Amino acid sequence: MLGKLAFRNVRRSARDYLVYFLTMTFVTALMFAFNSLIFTRDIEEMFEVAGLMMALVGMATFFIVLIVAWLINYMVRFMLEKRSREFGIYLLIGMRKKEIARLYKRENILLGACAFLLGMALGVLLQQVLLSILYSMIQMRYDLHMEFNRNCILMTAGCYGGCYLLALLRCGRRFKKMNIRDLMEAQKKNEEVRESHEQWKKWFFPLSVAFLGLFAVFIFTGGIKNGGHVVFFLVGIVLVIYFFYIGLSSWLVCYVRRRGNAVYRGQNLFLLRQFSSKLKTMSFTMGTLTALFTIAFMGCTVAMMFSDYQNRILETKFPFDVQINSEDVADDFADELKVIGESAKILDAYPYHIYAMLPADTQGNAAGIPAENQVNVWLSTHLKVFGEMYLNEDGSPDLKKIAKDSRDGSFYCSYDTYMKLSDYNHLRGMLGYPKVSLGDHEYLIHLKERIRGEAEGLKDAVTIRGNEGNLEFAGYYSEPFSQDGHNGGDYVIVVPDSQGSKLTPYYSEMAVDIEGEAPLGLGNKLDDLGEPEFWERGEAAEEEEEDTDLAGHRQMSGNSCCGSDTIVVMTVANMVRDNLIPETKYMLSSLIFPCFYVGLVFLCVALTVLSVQQLSDSAKYRFRYSVLKKLGMNRQEIGRVILQQLVCYYLCPVLLAAVIGGSVSVFMSGKFIFYTGIRTAVMYYFGLSFLLFFGIYVLYFITTYVGFRRNVEGD
Amino acid sequence: MKDYIRVCDVEKYYGNASNVTKAIDRVSFTVAQGEFVGVMGASGSGKTTLLNILSTIDRVTAGHIWYGDTDIAEMRENDLAEFRKENLGFVFQDYNLLDTLTIEENIILAMTLHGAPKRKIQERCREMLMLLGIEDIRDKFPYQVSGGQKQRCACARALVNGPRLILADEPTGALDSRSAQTLLETFTDMNRKMQATILMVTHDAFSASYCSRILFLKDGRIFHELVRGSRNRRDFLNEILDVLALTGGEASDVR
Repeated sequence: MLGKLAFRNVRRSARDYLVYFLTMTFVTALMFAFNSLIFTRDIEEMFEVAGLMMALVGMATFFIVLIVAWLINYMVRFMLEKRSREFGIYLLIGMRKKEIARLYKRENILLGACAFLLGMALGVLLQQVLLSILYSMIQMRYDLHMEFNRNCILMTAGCYGGCYLLALLRCGRRFKKMNIRDLMEAQKKNEEVRESHEQWKKWFFPLSVAFLGLFAVFIFTGGIKNGGHVVFFLVGIVLVIYFFYIGLSSWLVCYVRRRGNAVYRGQNLFLLRQFSSKLKTMSFTMGTLTALFTIAFMGCTVAMMFSDYQNRILETKFPFDVQINSEDVADDFADELKVIGESAKILDAYPYHIYAMLPADTQGNAAGIPAENQVNVWLSTHLKVFGEMYLNEDGSPDLKKIAKDSRDGSFYCSYDTYMKLSDYNHLRGMLGYPKVSLGDHEYLIHLKERIRGEAEGLKDAVTIRGNEGNLEFAGYYSEPFSQDGHNGGDYVIVVPDSQGSKLTPYYSEMAVDIEGEAPLGLGNKLDDLGEPEFWERGEAAEEEEEDTDLAGHRQMSGNSCCGSDTIVVMTVANMVRDNLIPETKYMLSSLIFPCFYVGLVFLCVALTVLSVQQLSDSAKYRFRYSVLKKLGMNRQEIGRVILQQLVCYYLCPVLLAAVIGGSVSVFMSGKFIFYTGIRTAVMYYFGLSFLLFFGIYVLYFITTYVGFRRNVEGD
Repeated sequence: MKDYIRVCDVEKYYGNASNVTKAIDRVSFTVAQGEFVGVMGASGSGKTTLLNILSTIDRVTAGHIWYGDTDIAEMRENDLAEFRKENLGFVFQDYNLLDTLTIEENIILAMTLHGAPKRKIQERCREMLMLLGIEDIRDKFPYQVSGGQKQRCACARALVNGPRLILADEPTGALDSRSAQTLLETFTDMNRKMQATILMVTHDAFSASYCSRILFLKDGRIFHELVRGSRNRRDFLNEILDVLALTGGEASDVR
């Protein structure tokens, strides 16, 4: 009998709390689809970085489990409250509390199980979509196929079950404390508007707004400098999120009490009071929703940033099919050519040198900056990326620090990097750029597009010596030219071959053009070339370990530099474009996907709470609107009031979240654009995520509005 | 006195072809301006249906209801809302006050929906609060005051726009006898001093004895009518009780 009752109740709950049910279904689907990213065997085998995706999706899952558990807990409590009368009747007809608790738990588990099964079905579809996106991102063909990985299903079920377990843990206790009278009365109780200390509580509102203003000023002027500031603002923001609503509600109450002019216009009084009383009773929930929205915003923005990066910048990072670096200036690259030749047809292979101006002039220039290092010093002290990192207190360059960091292989090499015009033109030819010509006493600088604008003053600050006297500057070039350490870090100075008497080979490079696409694993084979001899020398093997990056690529050593790029840096000795781009994209995807995942789930959870709140209150609202009807409002007017009320209620947490998330996002995008050199408006990423956000938001809003009107206008 | 409201051959049926319930069956009567009319009847006699029809919340199946020269049976829904706003005031058993608004704000809202200017609202509101003796509790919320006070607030709200007709549905139903008495005296005052026209539905003989005329409803038809004339209230009450006794009214209705 109990089973039957539970089943009927579930059917009713699923109808009453359709939004909740659908969200749980959707969350399951998302969980399954994203978990399947971890368990896709092809990818696991293909990339050594697969662990990164696992770690990040796992981390996202952790937060998602917590937040979904919160949603379930909230809903369980909420439904309990709404159905208290029904439980009272059960008690009245002689059911024991334990039985009721069991019935209720059973109902919830049944509801959860239905949502889970439906979600898995949807999840399989979503998984196909997600994998297609991922595969097309990493340029692999994806044939639609159902993949039911046992571990994936187990993990999804585990997470989902975990949420329920966490949520239902405290449910039994609540039943123990109940008594029949309270249960029967609970629903009759009207929202009691308790107003106390409104006069001083209203100041939370302007204070919160002022704090947000301060935060915006600080974040945009770069005022947040140390850990103390960060903690201060973080705590402040959390407080603002919660106190804002208390303040706003009191502010509205005070306004109504003061009988401001708006009170006397149409249905404003009704709306203001309705809104303020809702805010008052719900301020904590509203605060939590705001936090969720903020995180959703930021998650989406980060995802958008990296996805844009991989679409636009990545292609320019690897202009050559294959490029190999060797610190040995006598390296003829014979082994490498053999390996490449085995896997692909070589169209052109061009070994060349990057030079340094050595032996160095002893005197240096007027400011005491050594001539062999002048460009490095200028860039270290003038690029905004470095700020004041390499400046002494008096504003002069901190040469010691620059020299030390150069030895450690960060940013720039120990000496400025040069290239001969013939090499330069050959490489340009390989990339399909027009050749350039230089007069005998001229030089040019090829630098990254990102620093092109900032480096305008470079040409005046440096003097490049030729065989006889100084060379004249002939121009800047900034096409993609593999300048993350291969053709110099950030820049390379190109001089006529005839002027190269003072140039000493610094390290060797080889650029290779092959027919078609490079086969999978070519990069790894090239990396393996260096290994056997290292293994023999036990000690050096450990060093070698350190020299590989996260993805297991051999990093450049010795005279290496990587330029001033940050955020996404790719400095590997053996660059095979068709291997690296998919891999980098996969690596970025392992950041993008979890960010979207967190963003989407948080958004849906928050919107569900908003929606369920409104819909289940509509019984109360039905009474209020029937009063308005008796006071002479017609159907359209009531429809308008409902719309206004819902819009206020829905917009409030979103707007606050948009302000907080927006400032942080715009700040982050600004930095991202600055460091990666991507050319986009700062608002772009936030705008995109805002649009995505509003798409989902509008869906929920319409569902709620339609349901709400039906509830209010129905019999 | 001029006929103010005329109800002509009104019928209201519920149900479908196979199972029709005649809630109101060819009812006709008139209400004069400034009259305090009671409608009495047992449960299921159709009094609430009649009230709903008069208050434009429900529509007639057949017949006409004239407010002056306007036939509300012919009006469209939106016009009805407008009509309701301009002409009717409501007092219900369960008060129907908005719980998020204070006593004063409940009255203000009725006026702002009317589009009255601020100054007028303030003046009129103060007047009503004083008149109904609820000035002290103006800033309290409905849940903080007694039933009688809530009902007086509902009266103030019903009166504030000077409607043609005040419709009261069991206004004393949820009140204790003392508050009920006070409220009925308020009704009488409203009727006498402000010439408010009131139509009150009740099944309580004591409440009905405050009216100037009573229509008795049974199974959807008017079967009797009592006019108080110059009699005092006690005699009138006895007469009502007699009618109820004769027609098998509910003896328990007598307090």
